[in-house]
This record gives sequence, C-alpha cells and structure tokens, in this order.
Amino acid sequence: MSHGAADPTMHPEVQLSTSKGYFLGFAISAFLMLVATFLVTSHSVPPFGLLMVISVCAGIAVIAQIYFLLHIDISEHNIWNTVALVLFIPLFLITIGLTWWMFSQLYLRTMDMSVMSSAMQPAVHASATPGMAAMPGMNAHTDSGN
Amino acid sequence: MLVDLPGGWSPLLGRLAWSQIPYANPILAPLFVAVVIGAIIVLGLITYYGKWTYLWKEWLTTVDHKKLGVMYIIIGLVMLFRGFIDGLMIRTQQVWAVGPHSSGVFGSLHGYLTPFHFGQVYSAHGLIMILLAATPLLVGFMNIIVPIQIGARDMAYPYLNALGLWITAAAAALIMISLFVGDFAHNGWFEYAPIFEMQYSPGVGVDYWIWTLQLVALGTTLGGINILATVIKMRAPGMTWGKLPIFVWASLSANVIALTSFPALQVALGLVAADRYLGAHFFTAGMGGNLMLYTNLFWIWGHPEVYFVILPAFGMMSEIFPTFSEKPLFGYITMVLASMAIAGVSWLVWLHHFFTMGAGPYVNTAFSVATMLVGIPTGVKVFNWAFTMYRGRLTFNAAMLWAIGALFLLLIGGMTGMMLAIPAINYMVHNSVFVVAHFHSMLLVIVYAIFGSVLYWFPKVFGFKLDEFWAKTMFWLFSAGTALVFVPMYMLGFMGMTRRLEYVFNTGWQSYLDVMEFGIVVYTLSVLAFFILLYVSVRDHAKNRVGADAWGTSRSLEWMTHSPVPFYNFAVLPHINERDEVAWRRQHGIDNVRPEHYDDIHMPNNTGVAIILGGLTFVLGFALTWRIWWLCIVSLLAIIVLMIIRSFRGDPGYIVTGAELQRMEEEAYRREAQIADSHHSHPVSGGVVGNAMAYQRNDSSKRL
Ligand code: HEM
Ligand SMILES: [Cu+2]
Repeated sequence: MSHGAADPTMHPEVQLSTSKGYFLGFAISAFLMLVATFLVTSHSVPPFGLLMVISVCAGIAVIAQIYFLLHIDISEHNIWNTVALVLFIPLFLITIGLTWWMFSQLYLRTMDMSVMSSAMQPAVHASATPGMAAMPGMNAHTDSGN
Repeated sequence: MLVDLPGGWSPLLGRLAWSQIPYANPILAPLFVAVVIGAIIVLGLITYYGKWTYLWKEWLTTVDHKKLGVMYIIIGLVMLFRGFIDGLMIRTQQVWAVGPHSSGVFGSLHGYLTPFHFGQVYSAHGLIMILLAATPLLVGFMNIIVPIQIGARDMAYPYLNALGLWITAAAAALIMISLFVGDFAHNGWFEYAPIFEMQYSPGVGVDYWIWTLQLVALGTTLGGINILATVIKMRAPGMTWGKLPIFVWASLSANVIALTSFPALQVALGLVAADRYLGAHFFTAGMGGNLMLYTNLFWIWGHPEVYFVILPAFGMMSEIFPTFSEKPLFGYITMVLASMAIAGVSWLVWLHHFFTMGAGPYVNTAFSVATMLVGIPTGVKVFNWAFTMYRGRLTFNAAMLWAIGALFLLLIGGMTGMMLAIPAINYMVHNSVFVVAHFHSMLLVIVYAIFGSVLYWFPKVFGFKLDEFWAKTMFWLFSAGTALVFVPMYMLGFMGMTRRLEYVFNTGWQSYLDVMEFGIVVYTLSVLAFFILLYVSVRDHAKNRVGADAWGTSRSLEWMTHSPVPFYNFAVLPHINERDEVAWRRQHGIDNVRPEHYDDIHMPNNTGVAIILGGLTFVLGFALTWRIWWLCIVSLLAIIVLMIIRSFRGDPGYIVTGAELQRMEEEAYRREAQIADSHHSHPVSGGVVGNAMAYQRNDSSKRL
C-alpha cells in the first residue's frame, strides 16, 4: 500500500490515456463495424470474400482497440501488459487454431460436400443437393428465405 | 420484441406474474414457508440481540481479506448443503422410479418428481456444486491464506475483493430465488444447443442459468485478478519466488487459469443470451448457427475450470501432508513445475468432453494424447506426497485423514479419467453414469481437501481447534457414504446406465440403486456429524484455544502471527529467510522473538459500496431474467454511476499508530501466554537475532 497508489489518476495507464485516443479508438471500431454490417446486409460480396473482408475488419478493430482503448504496448513501464500479451497469443492460437482444425475435420465427415461448395457459390442451386441441407453450419440460401 | 415470448409480458413486470410462484407445488410450497419462517427467526434474533450495527460494521462492509474469505466459505458451505439436498432428491427419485410397476406421487408417473422438475434438480445440483460450492470455498481459502502466507497485510485491492464476494453472493441468491420464482434450467448444468433456445426452452429457467453463471464468472475473475496481483506485488521482504509457500504457488497457477478461461465462458453465455434475447442464430440448427460450436466454446472454459478447482485443492494437500509428517514437502520444485504444467496442458484437452462429436481419428487421437499428458504432472504430485509421508513422523488427526482420503480418490478419479481419455472407451461410456462417477471422484478430492483445510486452518482464523472426535466421525461417515454411492455408480456405468434418468427402465439395476440410496443416507449422517462438530467445538472453545503455531509442527508463514489473526496480520512485516520460514525459525530457536518497536501502519477503510453494487447486480440479473427492461436500465445505470463515484473518491485508508499496535500486540501475547503449551516470546532489537533477520528492518525510514 504505497502512497502514490492512493491516487488513481497517477497510474501510468491513466496518464497514458487521452480523450483523443479514446475517440479515435471508438471511431475506428464504429466505422469498421458499419462497413461490416453494410457488406453483410447488402450481399455485395460472395460468401467467401465476405468472410475474408469481415475477418480483416475485425483484426484491424482489435488492434485499434488494444492500442487506443487498452493502451497495451510493449514499453518498459507497462511490463505487465507485455506479460499478459505473451500469455494471450499462444492461448489465442490454441483456441482458434484447434477449433478450426476440429471443425474442419468434422465437416469433412458430416457435411455433404456438394452442399458445402454450393454454400460458397450462390450460383449452384441448393435443391440440387440431397438430404443434409439442414445440418448445423449449413445454411446459405436454403434457410434464408424464411 | 425481437423474439416471441410465449406467455404474457407487461412493461412493468416483464414476464413476472403470480402464476410463476409455485404455491401449488407439494414440495416447493412447504419449503417456501419453512424458508420464510426461518428467515424471520434469524432476522428477529439479530434485531433482538441488537447485532445489526455489528453485522454492518464488522462483516457486510468489511474489506478485510480474512472476513471476506470466511464469508466466501459460509456461502460455499450453504450452497454445498443446498447441492447436497439436490443430490439426495436425485438419488431418491432414481431408487424409486425403477421399472414400469414403480409407483408415482405428486403428479409424477413414477417416483415423486416430474421429468421437468427432475431436470431442474440435476441441473441446479451440477451448477451449484461446481460453481457456487467448490469455487467459493476455494476462493475463500485462497483469500484468507494467501496474504498471510506471503506476509502481506491485505490483498492488493481490498475493495475489489469485497466486490468479488458480493457479486458471488448475488449469483448464489439468484439461483436460490429460482426455486420459488419461476423455474430453473432443466437441460443439464452445462446445457446443450439447441435445446436452450427460446423455441425449446421457453421458460425463464435458461435465463436464470445464463445470469447466474455470468455473475459467478465475473466475481471469480475479479477475485483471480486480485490474488495474482497480491502474489506478484505484495510479498514480504526476502520472500523470493523460490521461497513461496506451496499453497501460494497452487493459487497462482489456478488463478492464471481463471483469468484466461472465464472470459471464454462469458463470451459463450453472451452468445446464448444473444440467441435468446435478440433472436440471433449463433447456436440454432440452421440459419447459419452451429450447435457444436456452443459445446466447443463451453468446454474451452469448462476443462480449464476443472483444473482451476483442483489445483488449490492440491495446494491444500501439499500443506497438510508435511505438517503432519513433520518433514518438508518432498520435491518442492517439481511440485511447482507440475502445477504450472497442469495449468498449461489444461488448455489443450477440452475436446475430450465431446470425442463423440465425430471429428475423426486425427483430432480425437491428438486430444486423447494431450489428455493423458495431464497424468504425468499429476503422477508427480502423487509420488511427491507419498514420499513426503515416507518415513515421516505421521500424526493421523482428522485433517490428515481427509488429506489421505483425497489422495485415494485422486487415484480413482485419475485412473478412470485416463480410461475416459481413450476414445475407444469413451465411445462406450460417454454420457453414462461412469462419467458421473469419474468426475464425482475428482470433485470429492476437492471436498476432502476442503474439509481437511477447514480443520487445518480453523484454529488460525478463529483461535481454537475443532473437536477431533466429531471431525473423525464425520470423516468416516462421509467416506463410507462415498464408497456406497460411487462404487455401484461405476458398476452401473459399465452396465450402460445413462446419466440423468428420471425413470430407470431396467429393474435389474434396483439393488445397485438401493445401495446408493443407503449411501446417501450415510452421507446425511455425516452432514449431521458436521453440525454436531461445529456445535461441540464452539461450546468447548475455551478448552481448545491455541497459540500462533496451532499444530506445533507447522511450516509456513501463516503460523507465525497470532491466532486468531489480527486484522493487520503482522504488526511488523517478517523478513523471510527460508522456504518453510516457521519451521526454519523453530529449528534455529528464533520462533519466539517479537519486535521491539512498532511503526505506524496504513490500512484500508471499510466501504458499503461493494455490498450495494452486489445488490444491484442481483437486481440486474433478476430483471434480465424476467425481461423487466426498465429495471435493467435503472440498475445498470446505478451500477455505473456508483462505480464512477467510488473511483473518483478512492480510499485514503487510515493509520494504525505504533502505540496502538503495541497495545494490541501485547494483549495478544498476554492471551497466548495463558495457553498452557505456548512458550514466552522476547523482544529483539533491530529485528535481528544472531545473524538472522527476523523482521523487516525497522530502522529504515521506509514506511509501508
Ligand atoms: C487425470 C486427469 C483427468 C482426466 C484424464 C480426465 C478425463 C476426462 C474425460 C475424458 C472426460 C469426458 C468424459 C465423457 O463425457 O465422455 C471427463 C469428464 C469430466 N471430468 Fe475429468 N479428467 C481428469 C481430471 C478431472 C478433474 C481434476 C476434474 C475436476 C475437478 C474433472 C472433472 C470432470 C468433469 C466435471 C467431467 C464431466 C462433465 C460433464 O460431462 O458433466 N476431471 N474427464
Ligand atoms: Cu475435461
């Protein structure tokens, strides 16, 4: 319980923050969210492209928020942020990576591949595919009508 | 409204209506009356004895980590009792409703619980036992013991600590109120997609489940942050990482898990809430949703969580064995590494909860091998404990018995876990009561370690020992109950009995179920023994008073300060020379020193903000459950405003002067001198005895 700690405004995280930074962080994330919403609602990009664009938007938003809102950088006096980041990155890779792997393996075994590819290319008609159109993860136009 | 709400909705009361109160239910209505009468009696007694101010000043507004820890443990024990009653109900239904000719009462075709009610009972049982009994009990012990073991005066963030407690209390209150207002989830403690979607579970049960879990997750995360910061920043002078008591290491590894995994649960719950409240389709069948993604997200948290609860229990065992073997812990370094390894590997195994999803041989093999890897550090621990006891001077008191019991259960649970980790076996027994028996063995390790710790640390916190006879009676009854319930359960699992049956179709299983019912009766006797234990111990407390070192063979720092621990923990912070500081001091003959001079110390003030915020989160959870939007907005705004006000006001703390400290310390020493077997202490000058440093150097001008 040292003395400086009693005044929260003296903490380095607080000292680092500026209103400009917060507004910028907010504006960037809001803008990216609007772009993503527009792309999804307008169906102007094919599904796979949409996935890519949204992923990129999300990535930029995450970085903007980490930097502007959370002030996570790798400087000396924020050493614990760096520790947290070092812990976070492998966990992120594990959770996302292994999830991706297990579900791609699952789809290989449970999905009708012709439906899968039709989901990627709206031009092919879903009605041409047998049976499994209602499987989890399958969607696209078979359901979007109702 | 974004989703269709079956039943009515009004702007004022949301989905709440009189019809939601189960006053016609033959089980709940009498219970409700009993609870109300009990509450009136308790409140009346508090008023009669004029204890409200005491309660408010000393407990409800406290930021003292020991009192908060005690309250965590009380919540945990109360919820353990509630969970136990649920267990009793499950067992009774299953022993009753066997075969087509079994009778039925209370509107149930077989047994006494309708399927819907039975589903609520087992769902609440699981959720309560893991998150509202085991977790608060462990967090409570970490709260009490960690700061004393590292020689700190409080947690790094005393106010946050209180906040964590009251949010946990709000979660407990929310799940309790679901008994009497509306209903609880009926699809299992971890739920399944898509049955928790609005179409299939239109009641408020799943909503209660969402917000209860969300609150526990929040409270536990806050507690975890606090313990991590405390261990990293608040260690006494001389306490390097290599000298950290083993329970502190265990708490550290556990809370790293908590901090990193609870957010995954909160995201999963947030997405479930989006489905149920906003009509989203994250986990629906079709419309782009994916059912298994829910299971995946849940267990990304769920498996690390099971290690979050077992690691502190391992830490407790690691404290109890050396004390009653009169030897240092065998393999300290490997013990630390094993805890860290378990924490790390716990992140890589979650798919073993859904091998049967069918992700194929590569994925299943990889996760199977990863799961079995956990056995290596766990095995290291088991051998370390065995070698700690090997050729030790063993004392088989009640605390030691519980720890040894935990060791045996760990072997059983670990071995069956290894079996379950083999996909070929898992496909046979998944979702059978074999799995249920496995994780009960594991969770009972925790319960055993907790009861061992209650006996072990009780004298530290309250200044007197618990009664050995009743503690041992309770232990043997409890262990008999464990054997009687879970041995037949393993057998039924092999015979293919699936879990969560409200009607048992196979009359051939009747005799096994009878044995289990008998087991739960024995368990009930052990609960009774526990109450007697508390009564007898409190009655005879004057006879069982202890000095600082309650067991005479203790090793770590918490045994250096007085029992009961004064609110400031250490009048002068000790200087740490060795890993087992108290044992080292005893060996070097400096266990009876006391400081010659006392400096002023700085302590945090009490605050009522934490309990008010806890109350508001409860209101928020309740309002969200019943979709009373105006109340959600009001309580959320109140929470935010209160937090901002408190942040700006801060807490300057207050000073306990050296003179005051001296007075309190002398009184404590006088009290200790009256206890027969404690020796006299003498002051040392400059904090130095011989060439060893006993206290933080008080000649320096540095204040704490
Ligand atoms: C040696 C280490 C362990 C191994 C190898 C292991 C393995 C497993 C496996 C493979 C399952 C999935 C069974 C199925 O559903 O088919 C499982 C379930 C479970 N285990 Fe363990 N386990 C271990 C330790 C623990 C510990 C330490 C705990 C808790 C303290 C625990 C609690 C649970 C729970 C709660 C479940 C089932 C949850 C549910 O389905 O409701 N396990 N375990
Ligand atoms: Cu697991």
